[in-house]
Amino acid sequence: MTDQITTDPTKPSERMRAGSMTLTLGPWIVAAVLLAVLPFIFTNNSSITIMNQMWITVIFALAYNMLLGQGGMLSFGHAVYAGVGGFACMHIMNASDFFAALPLPVLPVFGGLFGMGLAMIVGSFSTRSAGTVFAMISLGVGELIAACSVIIVAFFGGEEGVSGDRTYARPFFGTEFLQQIEVYYLISAWVLIAAALMYLWSRTPVGRMANAVRDNPERAEFLGYSARWVRFYSFVASGFFAGIAGGLFAINYEILTEENLNTTSSGVILLVTFLGGVGFFFGPIIGAIAFTLLQTVLSLQTELWAFYAGTLFVATVMFFPGGLAGLMMMHVPVFKLGKARLLIWPYLKTLLPALIGILGLSALVEMVFHVRHAAYGDDEMTLFWTTFNSHDILPWVIALGVTAIALGITRANVPALRDAWNEANTAGGSA
Amino acid sequence: MSTPALELSGLKKSFGKAEIIRGIDLSIGKSERHAVIGPNGAGKSTLFNLITARFQPTAGTVKLHGEDLIGLEPYQINRKGLSRSFQITNIFPKMTVFENVRCALLWSQGYRYSFWNLVNRSRDLTEGAEAILEQINLTERRNLPAGTLSYAEQRALEIGITIAGGADVIMLDEPTAGMSHSETDYITDLIMKVTEGKTLIMVEHDMGVVFGLADRISVLVYGEIIATGKPEEVRGDPKVQEAYLGAALEAEH
Repeated sequence: MTDQITTDPTKPSERMRAGSMTLTLGPWIVAAVLLAVLPFIFTNNSSITIMNQMWITVIFALAYNMLLGQGGMLSFGHAVYAGVGGFACMHIMNASDFFAALPLPVLPVFGGLFGMGLAMIVGSFSTRSAGTVFAMISLGVGELIAACSVIIVAFFGGEEGVSGDRTYARPFFGTEFLQQIEVYYLISAWVLIAAALMYLWSRTPVGRMANAVRDNPERAEFLGYSARWVRFYSFVASGFFAGIAGGLFAINYEILTEENLNTTSSGVILLVTFLGGVGFFFGPIIGAIAFTLLQTVLSLQTELWAFYAGTLFVATVMFFPGGLAGLMMMHVPVFKLGKARLLIWPYLKTLLPALIGILGLSALVEMVFHVRHAAYGDDEMTLFWTTFNSHDILPWVIALGVTAIALGITRANVPALRDAWNEANTAGGSA
Repeated sequence: MSTPALELSGLKKSFGKAEIIRGIDLSIGKSERHAVIGPNGAGKSTLFNLITARFQPTAGTVKLHGEDLIGLEPYQINRKGLSRSFQITNIFPKMTVFENVRCALLWSQGYRYSFWNLVNRSRDLTEGAEAILEQINLTERRNLPAGTLSYAEQRALEIGITIAGGADVIMLDEPTAGMSHSETDYITDLIMKVTEGKTLIMVEHDMGVVFGLADRISVLVYGEIIATGKPEEVRGDPKVQEAYLGAALEAEH
């Protein structure tokens, strides 16, 4: 290893080893191509609406994870930074002279600056410690600012919020952003820029020290870093990117209300981030995509979508604390050992009945809901393309039976899956 | 005589009514290897924590190269060139071994809170961290999470982190606690090697390590220093033998 010092920086392969070129472009190019191509695959307007929402959530979730995952700070009120950024952007939209001179794609920067400004004020006292104190202050400040929305009507617009029109901006290379697809590309460009910047942030000295302070604030202090200042910088940067997300929200929906500030929104972003996985940079991206799909697609199917989302969140916290990203990365060693094949059959045997069991459970939930809440005399319900009378005994017997049998099979197959997992994670042996 | 590297005068600390440190005067010269020994509960770790501002003293002063440290935060003291390790291993368990060392280099290499530098791009950081890893023999463990290292390796890593910033006063709190004989020898050699030309202050139970490493020894009993001097002087001091050393030396043999 002594040749480390004498590596020749002109040779790319050795530059890698010296650790100076470990930023890979691959995933970013793939992401850029995907963002550009997706509207040609999902052409209808509602898909584009969903994707717009998705990318905005991606930025917000990544910003949130700068605190939660990288800085170890649990915030219960992060929606206010996105919200205030968004409100600021709405007011800029309504300041006709200034807005007429401003190209729309630049607008989110102002959202970012306002989010950052608020984060600087709040961060100056909330980042003194992490843990419970920080969480409680974030909750309190969140509630406080959400309550301001009905008090400071001039800025927050009271109950009806603030609305505007993005098309009054100075045309950007002839584009006035009248169409949803134009907004889509604006948001896509921003999601790339913001994600890249946040990734780079995590590679800077202050970004690395955020991890160090998260793991062991005391040790970090004895390395010359004030844990408080490191937290403060993370907090301010997170506020900036949350504000960008807020600005994009303003552009996309052209209205902001109290809903953008309240604890429900703050809770959702925590849920999204955790679901995706706080341990990896790309975790929140997956979380945002999965959650937005769940929210938009599932909410068309059932009124109870929030119940399922909550259940999923609890299951994630209890069984997969690494989130979806953690679940994916768990399989990397298996693939490295070349033993992924061993897992296919046990997975099928366990997960297929598990899926049926879960669908059965949700059928039971839906039936209970229908019996309790449908209008009097409306006994017909449709579930899984089958219409039946929810007051009959037979559908209940079938649903209960299928659920019980499916979960029973799942349970019986779990030990085999566990063995297969151990086998697949052990080096050597016959694959 | 030049300014001592570290000078304590009239240092006191009480927790409620319990007086743990009862007036300590101690002066440690530049490039001296100084060991603080004493029975359990004598206040050795408390003394360390007072010097490094983990606790605030009730009375007295601590001076580093003639500069008063009282009232400063730990990170400010560190920036002045004093670095310490802990009795209970204190590393960043979820980060890789390499990252642990690199974080320890950031401030001293002038990166401060910058967000316009990429740590991967800095050859100074990478090579500096590699050099430290080489010194503490953990090059092969480079990419493992620090929490998965063996106990002795974690202790070595902690010493690496402690010296990485280039501080000229190094404080080690029981660096060989809980180690086997071979591990102790390994750590002792390591300390010898990495503290070359630096001021070392250590708390240690293992008399072999103390007499092997230290230029001077202070004996701390019930919050007071009862003797300070060269190892052979301290060993011969009847007060010390009575209070502590006799029993400890007997146990050694």
